[in-house]
Amino acid sequence: MKVSLNWLKEHVALELSAKELAPKLMALGFEVASIESKGPQFRGVVTAKVLDVVQHPNADRLRLCTVDDGAAKFSVVCGAPNVAAGQTVALARVGAELPGGKKLGPAKIRGVDSQGMLCSGAELGMPGDAAGIMVLGEGTPLGQDFAAMQGPGDELLEVEITPNRPDCLSHRGLARELAAYLRVPLKSAPPAPVPPQASETCPLISVESPEACPLYIGRLITGVKVGPSPAWLAAKLEAVGLKPINNVVDVTNYMLMDIGQPMHGFDASRLTGPEIRVRFARSGETIKALDGKSYALSLDNLLIADSSHPVAIAGVMGGEETGTTGQTVNVLLESAYFRPSVVRKSSQKLRLKSDSSYRFERGVDPGAVAEASERAAALIVQLGGPEAKVSAPRVAGAQPAAPKPITVSVSRLNEILGSAFPEADVEGALRAIAQSLQVESTKLHFTPPTHRGDLETVWDLAEETARLLGYDNVPSVAAPISPRPAKLTPYESLAERCRSRLAALGLLEAYNYDFVSEKALKQAGLSPDSCAKLANPLSDDWTYLRPTLLLGLLANAATNLNRGASSVRLFELGTRYKPVKGHVAEKRHAAGLMLGPVSERFWQAARTPDAGFYDAKGLAEDLLSGLPGLAWTPLRQAKTQLEDDVFFHPGASLRVESPKGPLGTVGLLHPTIARAWGLDRQPVALFDFDLERLAKLESPRARFAPYSQFPVSRRDLSLLVDTGKPYAELEAAARQGAGAPLQSVELVDVFTGKGLPAGKHSVTLRLTFGVLDRTLTEPEVLAGVDGALGALKALGAELRG
Amino acid sequence: MTRQDWDNAFEQASAVLRASKPAANLQELEEVRLAFLGRKGALLTDLLKSLKDLSIEDKRDCGPKVNALKAELESRIELQRNALERAADEASLSASAIDLTLPGFKPARGRLHPLTQTLREMTSILSLMGFSWAEGPFVEDDANNFTKLNIPEDHPARDMHDTFYLADVPRLLRTHTSPVQIRSMEGQKPPLRIMCPGRVFRHEAVDATHSAVFHQVEGLYVAERVTFADLKGTLAEFMQKLLGSSAMRFRPSFFPFTEPSTEVDVKCLFCRGEGCGICKQSGWIELLGAGLVHPNVFKAVGYDPEKWSGFAFGIGVERLAMLRLGVKDIRGFYENDQRFLRQFDESLA
Repeated sequence: MKVSLNWLKEHVALELSAKELAPKLMALGFEVASIESKGPQFRGVVTAKVLDVVQHPNADRLRLCTVDDGAAKFSVVCGAPNVAAGQTVALARVGAELPGGKKLGPAKIRGVDSQGMLCSGAELGMPGDAAGIMVLGEGTPLGQDFAAMQGPGDELLEVEITPNRPDCLSHRGLARELAAYLRVPLKSAPPAPVPPQASETCPLISVESPEACPLYIGRLITGVKVGPSPAWLAAKLEAVGLKPINNVVDVTNYMLMDIGQPMHGFDASRLTGPEIRVRFARSGETIKALDGKSYALSLDNLLIADSSHPVAIAGVMGGEETGTTGQTVNVLLESAYFRPSVVRKSSQKLRLKSDSSYRFERGVDPGAVAEASERAAALIVQLGGPEAKVSAPRVAGAQPAAPKPITVSVSRLNEILGSAFPEADVEGALRAIAQSLQVESTKLHFTPPTHRGDLETVWDLAEETARLLGYDNVPSVAAPISPRPAKLTPYESLAERCRSRLAALGLLEAYNYDFVSEKALKQAGLSPDSCAKLANPLSDDWTYLRPTLLLGLLANAATNLNRGASSVRLFELGTRYKPVKGHVAEKRHAAGLMLGPVSERFWQAARTPDAGFYDAKGLAEDLLSGLPGLAWTPLRQAKTQLEDDVFFHPGASLRVESPKGPLGTVGLLHPTIARAWGLDRQPVALFDFDLERLAKLESPRARFAPYSQFPVSRRDLSLLVDTGKPYAELEAAARQGAGAPLQSVELVDVFTGKGLPAGKHSVTLRLTFGVLDRTLTEPEVLAGVDGALGALKALGAELRG
Repeated sequence: MTRQDWDNAFEQASAVLRASKPAANLQELEEVRLAFLGRKGALLTDLLKSLKDLSIEDKRDCGPKVNALKAELESRIELQRNALERAADEASLSASAIDLTLPGFKPARGRLHPLTQTLREMTSILSLMGFSWAEGPFVEDDANNFTKLNIPEDHPARDMHDTFYLADVPRLLRTHTSPVQIRSMEGQKPPLRIMCPGRVFRHEAVDATHSAVFHQVEGLYVAERVTFADLKGTLAEFMQKLLGSSAMRFRPSFFPFTEPSTEVDVKCLFCRGEGCGICKQSGWIELLGAGLVHPNVFKAVGYDPEKWSGFAFGIGVERLAMLRLGVKDIRGFYENDQRFLRQFDESLA
């Protein structure tokens, strides 16, 4: 809310500048977002006459002026080319304060004393040419405070009011807070002169929904001459950002900003029928509001209606047809209390907000409804020409019940806060904001004023106590010992290990938004119908909740490549979403993507190979190592189906199955999807695992396995094998054939090409033999090799020369 | 071998040894050694072997002679070896064989996301302070996200939370981590002390300082007689460990689920309170929202507000990370440009 410091000072005796006020408002819970100064930003500048101008003895461009402010003569050095004897000018005397806080001291300019400065407009922060001094009109009296001649200055504060404090959405409201905090008195408004009474009576007011509108006060003002507001009123409204319209609307806006009561003035001659009705809209009704737009009303909109039409959306906005215009003579002035939830619902339904709805939906002061009506009527009559008269008020309903008293003790308040505020201080603070405070031994009976509907419980009073006595004066107590040891959830503990492992394996962790576009889903061949959809997406790019983490990673890969990256290695832990009956199921997954050279630039080799299937497989094997009972099945033969199988190349991917169900998939990106994302220039390796299922697997603690202290024997077998023969069969045969002394089988080399028969390739296995308690003899090793060879030959493998 | 032959051979061996020039390198020295002490046809080896052919008297005479010669040889070799090795070391040390300025081979090491690093730091401090990890779904219902947190329908406090709603189902994306408070309290009896780190969603246009997706860490402590002073003390300890300073300023504020409520500013991390561009010359940076749990929240989860009391606080992870890492645009965290992700290394210090 925009607050004028001058206006605030009409309500409370303050001697503070806006800058001094801001920390006080902050201490009360109102942040000051900005301060803007209006009017002169200087002090100590007076009008003076130039009596004499002579050349400066030591500088061509400077002149020595004798000026007279009516009381004394001053010798001033001036560099302005336009200075001349006989001019009336603005003289900043020694001690003057100029905009920006600069203080003018006595100066010696090129060896000559200068007792002040003749000011240009720019130097005073006023419009005008910086090149020359301001020359004031002839006949300007001398020695006048030049700042005062510019009219009163003001400072405007942009104050943020939290939703619980609608009572502070007015100058009086904020003044009340400051008065309570600073313990200075509030000024009461001078009593309005009693306006002449009209002979007409105010139309009848029938409230059909007293629950929604407990109090409605109407007054008929007759004989009004509608026209522009006087300057003081227009200036006040303009200062706080409201556009002056006419003397009726401006008075209602004045009340809004002064005491926080939204009001409305109808052109009474445009209302049909004998009475005004406050009722909910019927379906099909419409209204053209003051903003010029037509609104289709619904049963949620509380209305002010005449006998035929809606004439205002209660508490939100008046209708255009019945508003006050230059032709208006009789005004029906509305001051009411509308139920906050009713106004909010109404305003939200129409997506129409106003200063009025903003206050009503937060709750206006029920105690100010009548006051506003009376004051506004008196002011309209005062500003509305000699014929203006006002009727007696027509009151429908009654002021809603005042907030209930709260009984509390000082010790209870201190117990909640952990403070030791003395009784007298607490009583004093609460008394400053109370309607009434009665003390009965240790009990305080606090009755909130009508504008503090937010005060309901002892906790509310605890906050008030701390607020008025200072949050900083509540002690800070060392944190109490924890009642229980802290725990990680099983999922988080797994997630943390998984992140560390994937980073150690060389991947960068990505964070993607949870939103995806329909286009991306369709591009991947996923059906948008099977995805969770937002009712109010921010944009078309963010319509659905991601059904897989891979969409984000693919987009990241494309972005990085477009920005010049040669390789991409990313992983993400995140949530995927899927609609289920009446709800959305979430699942935490870990996914990753690799493309391009497997390591960073290695300058001793021309190029390191691109990441491919075996990199992803190796990474997945490392990530999942230690988990028992995993089966790695070619995707084509997998018995289970997963949502993001569409992303994987069916011939170059593996499904990982666990005893508790499928864990996920690792392999190459499907070529169709690779093309769609522009990622078809090199292989893209992917993985995606269900972390929640992973968290359910029991991973046995690693146990020490003994190894031999004796030398081992290695034998390499180069075999000629049918290219279609799976390696796993060779390895299994070698293991089985070599028998117990075999420690390990490693694949050393796979070679295809020159010198080999068609349909064959060369596979080199390295067999390592050894036992725990001794060195094997040569015959024992040979027997193992023979056994392995025998089994391999049975598979059609031949030993190469 | 006769004594005469032996003596001749001995004289020859002595003469050769005395005439020999210092070896030029270790290989030559080894050749010298082998010439005298090799297995076959070596001068001294033969003399030693043929001692057995001599009479006892001759043995007494010849044995010491040949042993003395052998000792002399060994000492010469040793001296020369030492000299040659020293010379070789010096040569190696003085040679500048490699360009030390060529880049080292970079291990392919990944990085944790800067938000993960920030979250980890916060949660590990809180966990040392006894806060247990609690989590909840991102897709929530209105009750957990709003009404049970004392934000009734048609209350303007809802304007503080611009919300994403799901189509087709009456669900929303949680606007804060506070629904986890509700779930935790409904799931267990007090006392409890939990932290809820996690993702939250606001229906806000994305710009340099606003993100529709961001992260919070929330703390909740419920026990008997928990006070506002306890909240201040806990936050002081948390900030001391997180930022190295517990200088804080508590301002009254409003959150529907706490009463009293406060916004907490920490002394500017950059100017230490003197005023700079980052704190907009105020010397303070707004970092936390906090307060005592509102009695209506306790009622909503079936806790007796007269018996139990508690505090809650929430802190934005992105905001802290931006301040500490000097990131000016929040979108950088979600763009996943590898040049961004690589920059933030967990320092060893």
